[in-house]
Amino acid sequence: MTHPIDHSRRRSLQVALAIAALPWPLPGRSQTGVSWPTLEDRARGQTVYLNAWGGSDRTNAYLQWVADEVEKRHGVKVQHVKVADTAEAVKRVRGEKAAGRLEGGTVDAIWINGENFLTMKREGLLFGPFAESLPNYRWVDTQGKPTTRTDFSEPVDGFEAPWGMAQFTFFADRAKLPTPPRSMTALLDLARANPGRITYPRPPNFHGTTFLKQALVELNTDRRALYLPVTPEALARLAAPLWTYLDALQPQLWRGGKQQPQNAAAIRQMMADGELLLALTFNPNEAANEIAAKRLPASVYSWQNSGGAIGNTHFLAIPFNAKARDGAHVMINFMLSPEAQARKADIAVWGDATVLAIDRLPAADRARFAAGPAPGQVTQPAPVLLEPHGSWVDPLEREWLRRYGQ
Amino acid sequence: MAAPLRPVAARPTEPFAGWRLLASMRTSALSKTLSLALAVALAAAVALPLLWAAGSAIAAGLDSTAWRALAADPQLPHALLLSVATGVAATIFSVAAAAFLLSRSFPGPAWSALVRALPPMLAVPHAAFAIGLAFLIAPSGWLLRALSPWATGFDAPPLWVTTQDPWGLALVVVLVAKEVPFLLWAAATHLQRPDAAARWTRELQLAQSMGYSPRRAWWRVLWPQLWPRLGGPALAVFAYSLTVVDMALVIGPTGPPTLGVLAWQWLLDADPRVNAQGAAAAWLLAGVVSLLAGAVWGLRTAWHRRARWVDGRRGAADAPAGGVVGKAGASGPRGLLRGVRNPRDLHDLHDLPEMRGIFHVIAIAPLRLPALLYLTVMLALAVGSVSGVWPFPQLWPQTLDLQAWRSVSASAATLWTTLGLAAASSITALIWAIAWLECAPPAWDRALRRLIYLPLLLPAVLWVVGMHRLGLAWQLDAQWTGLWLTHSLAGLPYVLIALSPAYLGFDLRYVQVASSLGRGQWPFLWQVKWPLLKASLTGAAAVGFAVSVAQYLPTVFIGAGRFATVTTEAVTLASAGQRSLTAAYAWLQWLLPALVFGVAAWASRPRRFRPAS
Repeated sequence: MTHPIDHSRRRSLQVALAIAALPWPLPGRSQTGVSWPTLEDRARGQTVYLNAWGGSDRTNAYLQWVADEVEKRHGVKVQHVKVADTAEAVKRVRGEKAAGRLEGGTVDAIWINGENFLTMKREGLLFGPFAESLPNYRWVDTQGKPTTRTDFSEPVDGFEAPWGMAQFTFFADRAKLPTPPRSMTALLDLARANPGRITYPRPPNFHGTTFLKQALVELNTDRRALYLPVTPEALARLAAPLWTYLDALQPQLWRGGKQQPQNAAAIRQMMADGELLLALTFNPNEAANEIAAKRLPASVYSWQNSGGAIGNTHFLAIPFNAKARDGAHVMINFMLSPEAQARKADIAVWGDATVLAIDRLPAADRARFAAGPAPGQVTQPAPVLLEPHGSWVDPLEREWLRRYGQ
Repeated sequence: MAAPLRPVAARPTEPFAGWRLLASMRTSALSKTLSLALAVALAAAVALPLLWAAGSAIAAGLDSTAWRALAADPQLPHALLLSVATGVAATIFSVAAAAFLLSRSFPGPAWSALVRALPPMLAVPHAAFAIGLAFLIAPSGWLLRALSPWATGFDAPPLWVTTQDPWGLALVVVLVAKEVPFLLWAAATHLQRPDAAARWTRELQLAQSMGYSPRRAWWRVLWPQLWPRLGGPALAVFAYSLTVVDMALVIGPTGPPTLGVLAWQWLLDADPRVNAQGAAAAWLLAGVVSLLAGAVWGLRTAWHRRARWVDGRRGAADAPAGGVVGKAGASGPRGLLRGVRNPRDLHDLHDLPEMRGIFHVIAIAPLRLPALLYLTVMLALAVGSVSGVWPFPQLWPQTLDLQAWRSVSASAATLWTTLGLAAASSITALIWAIAWLECAPPAWDRALRRLIYLPLLLPAVLWVVGMHRLGLAWQLDAQWTGLWLTHSLAGLPYVLIALSPAYLGFDLRYVQVASSLGRGQWPFLWQVKWPLLKASLTGAAAVGFAVSVAQYLPTVFIGAGRFATVTTEAVTLASAGQRSLTAAYAWLQWLLPALVFGVAAWASRPRRFRPAS
């Protein structure tokens, strides 16, 4: 199962630095001064159009449950607007701004992260800050999960509320691959032993670029420069091991690395058919989900590289011109509640990891998260590797295209 | 346009617009003014939104930084070359294959059978067809599963390059397979007209009575008359093949992909700068399409001047498929004899009794091929839709699962939105097209057509940016009316392409007969013209319907995602790449247009005249 982030590509973030310095235009109506009960009152009767990636039955079913509960408890109607690519909703909001539609927009809430968030924040398309004033935000694990406050090196600043966690994960069929390669170097050895049976999506596809980032971070021991804006000198120095690695890996890939699948879904299908040895995902529970849906055999298992795996968070945001802004607050607050988060984390429902600090929750709420492991789940979770600074992405992708993409 | 054989050129009609037709009738000056006023209103109703949307789309492509970024992109030369090569190859092979199938089947029962099989083929969604075909020919596909491991020894899919080949051959194959039925269908809108079919059959008989072999007569008499009328559809095929995204994503090359795919990916990016680069790429493609189409147009004109020469040689020599000028070959009494002996048996190519059986099989096999291919693809999709775990080399899924179909039935509510929207927009487009063809002077028609065909030449993503701005500016977004307008405009070029050749080629003598019998304009339209053009009218409406059902981006953007159709459901769920879901939704997407094409075919069956009492 993929997230909307799968379909986003982060582009040059040179502007990212400048953004922190910009005085963020605060929207006409600040949250300060309005008590939560007042806001809940005002929200009653509103209809929230939640624009969220609609590519998964289970996600859609979960959002339908959210809609039912929010209407029952708060009198707010929630309508899931299914999009195939979150960028569609971003472009719609941008189009509305360009056309002078500063109020009464068609998007009330949006499932988002990474590039889309940066774009919306940079262009002033988001309402906020609002997230940290939501009652349920106090349970968010901002310490243990730092990506809940930094989205691809971009400070969140309360312009989006964390919703779920993601981490770069591989999966394979034990019948075909009994021992997993737990590092990029081990992956190269595996590719050499099985030429043509391994590949990754073609960058700048999201998963393809993440594969490059995972290798870049893993192949460098001194990583400090990766978390600073890119410089030609740093790029030449830190990317050198990556190109050496890829020079060795590409010829061993499927189709000799000349052709690479467009996305991770294609790779998952080819893995299921037996054409490839392993697949990759950003949802650690994807394989478990697919097994539960009977689309993958139970012999499929997941792993993360032992030295750590690139991780991030996906969020919910409110566009600047949202019509049902109060309703969106109420809905997002509910989606942050231990009850909603626990249901989301349940493999039988969706299997999306929570953003909450489970150990800080009251005992009753903590019990909601106590589900046993499901087949296909990651058994040895790896530490989270932070995404390199956003400005690295563009030069990396360009250089990759120049070297391997023509 | 003139028939190549002068003696046969007993063609009484040239394609006149209804305007002149009306002028030749007993129409008052007032009704002429009225019809011109109506033409102005019709032109405005279409030109205004189209120009607005085109203007916005042009504005999106005017960014010089974006053009520089595009020029600097290392993938550009290769991607553009791939687009042009696959687009040109797919168009040439599609036209050639359609001409070949036509020459082998028309006139005769084989043609009727072929035409009956077209609607369900046309209704198969492009992407789904590509997925189904890929599933047949991929290294892990059904064909190899059927042979493995007993014959091939493979217990894992071989490392063969069958789909996503670097040259785009698989893409060309899938494009040809999808576009040939469209071209045949376009030809059928001409050939199904009772008057045209009868006239052309007579002309073929006449040519054979003069000693030309059936096939030579076909290429010399029928094809030169038919081919110019297929120019519009062929252009649509060309523009589509060169800019195709969904099929190229499934089965096309990836290192790099075609420029159409790159433009689409860039245009969908969240970053406006990348969007601008995508818009530039889209305009580049549109420019290439126009340039090549213009070149072909010029060539064709020159070609036709030559093609009208007839060398007077007769006999059995056959023109190569797709060519207009046949090689002069052995002529002789056999060909002459054949032509004269059995002029009615035109579809039978090899008439010598001892050869008939073998040649019949050989001649009929290619005619069955398209239907067979589509059947296999739909079967592959059907099995795919219920497949759970299904590793190579198993011929049949290890586990069967109805989850995908449960999801389909859960979105049954979208059926009514889809149906209502498609019906409303196709009828709108049809009424507009009829009114326009009746009222507009030919010069206006030519001018407006360039504008109307614009959406065909522009990549859809670029177009939708313009339409969205229009929807916002006119307060039509998130409204049913906005969707209706966009869907009608999207269907209009196809409806016009499908309708106008038959409509403009309508036999003028019917007007004269009707006038001489004292019938006015309306009785003539209702009782003579429209009944005679029934096949074209219903066919055009069906195409408009199918186009509406297939709309994704306009529906999402103008409808603000609030109007879920069969296709928006299919595309959003397919974005996760689940084979079973994609296949199940492909069936759902297929069903609606298939039904409507079926209704159109039923409605346009030949009329049976009751004996006058």
